[in-house]
Amino acid sequence: MGIAVIRFPGTNNEYDVIRALSLIPGTEPYLVNSNESPSVLKDATGIVIPGGFSYGDYLRAGAVASIEEILDGVRTFANDGKPVLGICNGFQILTEAKLLPGTLLPNESARFICKWVYLKVSESPTPYTEGLEGLVLRIPIAHAEGNYHCSESEMRALVDSNRIPFRYCDSDGNIVPEANPNGSQENIAGVLNEKGNVLGMMPHPERASRAILGSEDGLAILENFARLTMEA
Amino acid sequence: MKVLHEGKVKRVLSDPNSPNHIILEFTDIVTAGDGEKKETIGGKGKLACETSDILFTFLESKGIKTHFDKRFDENQLRCKKVKIFPVEVVCRNVAAGSFCRRYDIERGEIFSPPIVEFFLKDDKLHDPLITRNAAVVMGLVTHEELAFMENVTRSVNYYLCQLFKQVDLSLIDFKLEFGRTDEGQILVADEISGDTMRLWTLTGESIDKDLFREASGDLIEAYATLVEHLKKATPKEIPIKKERIRVIVMPKQGLKNPPGEVTRKALTRLGFESVNDVRVGKVYDIELSHPITSEILEHLRAMNLKLLSNPVAEEAKVGLLVWE
Repeated sequence: MGIAVIRFPGTNNEYDVIRALSLIPGTEPYLVNSNESPSVLKDATGIVIPGGFSYGDYLRAGAVASIEEILDGVRTFANDGKPVLGICNGFQILTEAKLLPGTLLPNESARFICKWVYLKVSESPTPYTEGLEGLVLRIPIAHAEGNYHCSESEMRALVDSNRIPFRYCDSDGNIVPEANPNGSQENIAGVLNEKGNVLGMMPHPERASRAILGSEDGLAILENFARLTMEA
Repeated sequence: MKVLHEGKVKRVLSDPNSPNHIILEFTDIVTAGDGEKKETIGGKGKLACETSDILFTFLESKGIKTHFDKRFDENQLRCKKVKIFPVEVVCRNVAAGSFCRRYDIERGEIFSPPIVEFFLKDDKLHDPLITRNAAVVMGLVTHEELAFMENVTRSVNYYLCQLFKQVDLSLIDFKLEFGRTDEGQILVADEISGDTMRLWTLTGESIDKDLFREASGDLIEAYATLVEHLKKATPKEIPIKKERIRVIVMPKQGLKNPPGEVTRKALTRLGFESVNDVRVGKVYDIELSHPITSEILEHLRAMNLKLLSNPVAEEAKVGLLVWE
């Protein structure tokens, strides 16, 4: 029992995630290598796909990882309604695996962006944002392909069913174009699947999990994730 | 058996046992110059049928998809039912026949790479040469179908050349016809025999229909020699030719393309002010250990959907390459 943190070749945030999750009482994060059998995920209570550059981002960020056998296990797990969190490259992998809608295109600036950003949390409740509704969080991003894009119909579905928990905003919580770091449609920083159990987000909550890192705002998201793993 | 179609030298009969097959019957008629010269030569049908049997069987063994199913009778082949394309393909390794007259060049000139040409199948017009563009705009075939036919024709050329080389014959040129099954598979169809190709011995003597065209020798003796030669060949020793396919993936129209925009700005900085827009995509060159078939093109479409492109943001195009 515990939270499986999957490491692909090129993943580089797995220990940051494990360390951040370890701050939360009752969690038992453990490392799973992507070449292990999908069956190792059967006993997990939650799955995190952390950030990095799986397979060197060849083809497209997340594309090669998304067809690994271990993703069959993630898919079964997600379809059972259990919590799956994809951070940064993990988000890209989940969209490539079609567990989340849309895709992440190269940043509009065509540059790698590493900086602190503000996120406006959706006013309406979602499983991952309990107690955070309407708040402004300060969490860093670090990516070259974080420009969220999806079809018009998918966007309508995301908006209508309140599946956009995080949007880039300014320090006052205004969702404005100037606060959009990468060109994402609707300033989207994270999306949920239809059931609400799979979250993908470009910002790194694990890098905002202790005061010494500059912010503890990310820990609140991980705590919600941990709570879901305990309910499941 | 019902006659479905009466051709110049062959008959298409219905297959009493299957609606998806036909029986191709080879007659003893020989024609040349669009039927201007016509004769019946006893035994020709059987020999052309036997040659086709051997060559289709050989090509199938190398992975080329043809309409051939089995030998049905002495002068009959059982074949898959296809709708024949109105465009036929000619592949030339060495200058001969109409090509020499058309361009006034010396018979025997070697072409490297081989030349592939398309002809409109129309007896009244005497099967004229047709350009790709005309064939596509006239709605006879699509660009993709023409590319497919050319690619398969070049593969067939490779395998036939290798086979004939084993028995000291050289393949000068040949004609192929293609057909499409109801399921959409494109197959090599019609016949492959001395009637549809030119073959020279090491000393430059024809053992094909030119003997009849030019009234320069015994056709039956030549066709019988050809079958004898082919029986001596060892097709297993001929290595599989690798095929190459190119998949081009581009960002969808209307989507911003930041790498392209950065490139455009850089080109402008270099003084190329007329550069208005640049879009950056990807190219995959894929080598296959098998000739191109309709099935492989389907696999490529699946490869695109599964991995090579992301349909949310990209468009993929499969190109057949001729790399010599």
